[in-house]
Amino acid sequence: MAQGVNHRLPQMGRSKIWTPHVIEDIQAKAELGHYQIRGFSTFFNIPTLDQLTFLPAAMTRLPLEGYREFCETKTVLGGGKPDRVSQPLELDIPIYIASMSFGALSRNAKVSLGLGASAVGTCTSTGEGGMLEDERQASKKLIYQITPSRYQLDLDHLRRADAVEIAVGQGAKPGTGGVLLGAKVIDKVVEMRQLPKGIDQRSSVRHPDFLGADDMQIKIEELRDATGYRVPIFCKLPACRVTQDVKIAAKSGIDVIVIDGMEGGTGASPEFLLDHTGIPTMAAIPAARRALEEIGMYGKVSLVVSGGLKSGADVAKALALGADAVAFGTAALIALNCNAPLYEEDYAALGTAPGYCYHCHTGRCPVGVTTQDEELQKRLDPEKAGERIASFLRAVTMEVTMIAKSCGKSNVHNLEPEDMRALTLEASAMTGVPLAGVDKVVAPW
Amino acid sequence: MGTMTVVRLDADTLTPRQLNEKLRELLASGAEAVVENPRSRHNLGVALPGPGHVTFKGSVGYYCGGLSNGGSIAIAGNAGWGIGESMANGFIRVRGSVGQSIGASLRGGTIVVEGDAGPRAGVAQKGGVVVVGGNIGFLSGFMAQRGKLIALGDASDGVGDSLYEGNIFVAGRIHGLGIDAVIAPPMPEEIDEIESIIAEVGFPLKPREWKKVVAGRKLWYFDKREGQTWLKV
Repeated sequence: MAQGVNHRLPQMGRSKIWTPHVIEDIQAKAELGHYQIRGFSTFFNIPTLDQLTFLPAAMTRLPLEGYREFCETKTVLGGGKPDRVSQPLELDIPIYIASMSFGALSRNAKVSLGLGASAVGTCTSTGEGGMLEDERQASKKLIYQITPSRYQLDLDHLRRADAVEIAVGQGAKPGTGGVLLGAKVIDKVVEMRQLPKGIDQRSSVRHPDFLGADDMQIKIEELRDATGYRVPIFCKLPACRVTQDVKIAAKSGIDVIVIDGMEGGTGASPEFLLDHTGIPTMAAIPAARRALEEIGMYGKVSLVVSGGLKSGADVAKALALGADAVAFGTAALIALNCNAPLYEEDYAALGTAPGYCYHCHTGRCPVGVTTQDEELQKRLDPEKAGERIASFLRAVTMEVTMIAKSCGKSNVHNLEPEDMRALTLEASAMTGVPLAGVDKVVAPW
Repeated sequence: MGTMTVVRLDADTLTPRQLNEKLRELLASGAEAVVENPRSRHNLGVALPGPGHVTFKGSVGYYCGGLSNGGSIAIAGNAGWGIGESMANGFIRVRGSVGQSIGASLRGGTIVVEGDAGPRAGVAQKGGVVVVGGNIGFLSGFMAQRGKLIALGDASDGVGDSLYEGNIFVAGRIHGLGIDAVIAPPMPEEIDEIESIIAEVGFPLKPREWKKVVAGRKLWYFDKREGQTWLKV
């Protein structure tokens, strides 16, 4: 053995099976006696929209002036059935704020999102747990989500909503109900959800009064009747058996289908569900589009996509693959200051650091976003944070329009799969977009 | 009283949407309506206001009285699923029996069934009172958060599964408890209250052996100490 060379040290951490995280997970389970729960989203390296690239115009197409010419971003959701929906959801941009509950998020976070979204002409969603009056006041347009738990489902709130969303599931934890650990089940959350204070709330996954598609069809009619056939009815689905689920939802009479990919974020979820359930957003979009096309409903039923979308490029790719709009969850929270290098001692107290924090489930969010603690949420000023949201959404929209104009489109909704190429075999196979360079779709089946 | 006009509506000649619009208008004004030929149609009488009254002269389908804020409903026949679901206030009386999920996520008011109720009666109940003259089906009271579910007959298996602070009172036989449900002896004042409720809605009083089903509270916390309870779910 050569002097000074430690032959043991280089072996540490080299195993691709027994990684430090796997070791930590096993030892945590051995200590706790149950699986781990955490916030944020999957840490797995799954295929994403980054594996697609745009082909802007050159000799075969004419680009628009990216810095000058106008590109339409107006988006209408639920406009396919005028006899059933008298007021479709009209947004100025193809991006809105995803369903995230008051409970998972602080009151100040909800108000910030509402103010920011309103400033750029888009909407937010209540998420689970009822309508927070402050959010209704802050959000010019608000989607009212109906989850299986039905916390504070109120007729007056329903009628004050600009759209209603039936939550069937979410990408972070498909086939499972919501989780809100005891640190957040306090005060106003207890009042709205009518739960015992401090319990670890685990919501039901099945709706209490409908089970299958046939029942949901009747439920949709009930909601239309209660809201005077005014607003569109959304259905949020986790990206699983997308082709079948989308067809069934569309046939049930839904106006807008929201597909939430496996990258979807969460305030709290069993960790193994984050990593091992659902399919990636990139794979889900073409499957959803194909499903609607096969039953002649593409363009009649609107398609919204969420789950891990983080930039204008992602939005443009989602639109090009077939989405009418996208919803930002985690990206919006990061714009609010999630994981910002502030209050670093409080990150340290959670055993983490800015840029690495996933501790939404603890209720001790250092930047006041995912907490019910009065002192912590004072760190989030709704006016200033709302401006950050508005700025972020404006910047993202500029990115989308810039891409669209470079591809020769005067409307972001004119982006299409033909505007892209796949950078990897798997992206081509999943999306049907031709592989870069060879211009052929990788589809051996 | 005595001068109240009874407005007769025919469900054979109106769509449920038209019928409900008329009912909302009538009930908000305090009127009394009678609906002929309901023929088990779904979504009749949803999202109703008070203080009026409507009688359905037959059976109704799903979600009758759902989402209502007030008013009273009498159903002369049977009813389908989700009767009075999410109702915040009001009164519903069903002459016959009902399907599953009666009073699902009920927030307030009272629902009375003279016959039997199917599975998941009072599921996710958040307030109010459900009184069933006969039996209640499988998994009744599942995850009930608050309010009272009262059965004068038997309870099928799985009653009170995953309860929060809802209370279930059963006069007949309990065929099986749900996970984390326990039987507790009702206090004398609770029995007085239950008997007062059932007398008020017209059930005869007689000696009954009331059993009260409440949460064992082992599912309330995600805790290692309760690992065995969690493994069942």
